[in-house]
Amino acid sequence: MINTSNEPVVKMIGICKKFGAIQALKEVDFILNKNEIVGLVGDNGAGKSTLIKILAGIYPPDKGDMYIDGKKVNWRMPLQARAEGIETVYQDLALINLMSISRVFFLGKELIKNHYFRILDKKKMDLESIKSLHMLGIELPNPSEIVGNLSGGQKQSVALARSIYFGAKLLILDEPTASLSIKESQKVLNIIKEIKKKGVSVIFITHNIYHVYSVADRFTILERGEKIIDIEKKYATPEDIMKIISTGKAESSNN
Amino acid sequence: MYKKSLYSLVLRIFIKKPEFGAFTGLFFTIVFFSLSSNKFFTINSITAMFTLAAELGIVALGMSFLMISGEFDLSVGSVFALSTLIFVKLANFGILPPMAFLLTLVICTFVGVLNGIITVKFHIPSFITTLGTLMLWRGVLLYITGGFTVSYQADKDFLFLLGGRIFAGLRMTGVWFLLLTFVLSFVLIKTQYGNWVFAVGGNLNAARASGVNVEKVKIMNFALCSLFASISGTCNLARYVMSQPMLGTGMELEGIAASVIGGNLLTGGFGSIFGTFLGALLMGIIRTGLISIGVAPYLYKAFTGIILIVAVIINTTVGKRTK
Repeated sequence: MINTSNEPVVKMIGICKKFGAIQALKEVDFILNKNEIVGLVGDNGAGKSTLIKILAGIYPPDKGDMYIDGKKVNWRMPLQARAEGIETVYQDLALINLMSISRVFFLGKELIKNHYFRILDKKKMDLESIKSLHMLGIELPNPSEIVGNLSGGQKQSVALARSIYFGAKLLILDEPTASLSIKESQKVLNIIKEIKKKGVSVIFITHNIYHVYSVADRFTILERGEKIIDIEKKYATPEDIMKIISTGKAESSNN
Repeated sequence: MYKKSLYSLVLRIFIKKPEFGAFTGLFFTIVFFSLSSNKFFTINSITAMFTLAAELGIVALGMSFLMISGEFDLSVGSVFALSTLIFVKLANFGILPPMAFLLTLVICTFVGVLNGIITVKFHIPSFITTLGTLMLWRGVLLYITGGFTVSYQADKDFLFLLGGRIFAGLRMTGVWFLLLTFVLSFVLIKTQYGNWVFAVGGNLNAARASGVNVEKVKIMNFALCSLFASISGTCNLARYVMSQPMLGTGMELEGIAASVIGGNLLTGGFGSIFGTFLGALLMGIIRTGLISIGVAPYLYKAFTGIILIVAVIINTTVGKRTK
């Protein structure tokens, strides 16, 4: 699944998108390299979610080209993006509170032990789900626990572990720490670092610069549909980034 | 931790075992009636109760399965009656009873598919769809029969399989009830399809995002619900050897009651088929138990109502905790 060439995982060139009279994206270029975490930041209405929705295949762009591992793509639906290993973990997680961890973990891709009657291999599902959580440093001892009894951070962790288990090579995280306590945010950020170690690339969308700053390698800042700067972490402090976002201008950095 | 520990322990039991409430209720009801009347705890009485619970129970099993996937079906009583008429008409026409039976089930399954397609494709609440088909099929029944009972005139040997008396008060219906409980419970808990049923009722969008064909699951469950109503209907026919046009009136609400008493959440995503089995049994026991202790049987509905409300309070508490 994970590419071995030096091509960027994602290359988006000159992306434009209009919704009625509103120009949501104007000639935006976006690059994500292999095994890189990019913080996609900007104020409300900057175009962050439009950009990732185009990448996830939810909308087609009006103009512009998209390359995945150097291969040009032209997606018409989210399934095509998922088939390429691009997974989005949304803020309102796609988990089911009334079901157990292992049942939700494998939902839609259940492990089967009898193909004729499609009987669940519950033991293996329990084992595998706990194991893959463990590999990301998440300790949840009981796979039969109901998801609704987990904390926000634990739910987020299950969603992340699930994407990784099913072979995601690029994770799009939409405000993964927005509704979490400080302690829990820290845990989720650690998991994101673990995910990077596994060779997965991450796009991290957030309002919280400090959260993204601790894990990201680079920042792409959008403002009113335009990209105003692409900046590596070593050239900017969190304060610089916040200043760029609040003024909407790139000059203020030391870069 | 300290004060709340018993409360949260009980809640946890309910989350893990939705049928816990029905089980407790059943236990105390049996103890109560056994102490109140020495006629209650006899083989005759127990087997009769089980048979009585079975017809409602089979309907409630299908209802529960559908309810767990987030929909419900008010037309089961009408389909129950419709199946008796279809069976009688086909058999009286000269079709071999086993063939007539199978054809009846197939036709009624399609009636359920229709409920499902209307609900899913037009995004209509199943409450409205099935209220409509409840009236539609009842109207069709009354139109065809002119309001009169139609008696079964074909060979009766096959009917033994559906509702024949085995020993004491036990009829084949009870055997089918037990068997169908096991089959459906197995499908729900042990198979991939069961996992999808829980997911569709628990969070429709999450199920869809995970690649579950939610429309297909719902339509299939509507079909299954009607199929079970018709199995139960044909068992009833075997008992009375005739089709009455007003048969099964109000059965939809009793079916939902048995299902809810069994721990199934009205809003879907949570429940137990074994719980429904116990719920239907509890309702059957109250019905016969009241007679055996000499209380007016009219009070059956009142008692069921009270138990239903208690069950809903418990279910809602459990549901809130995890939603």
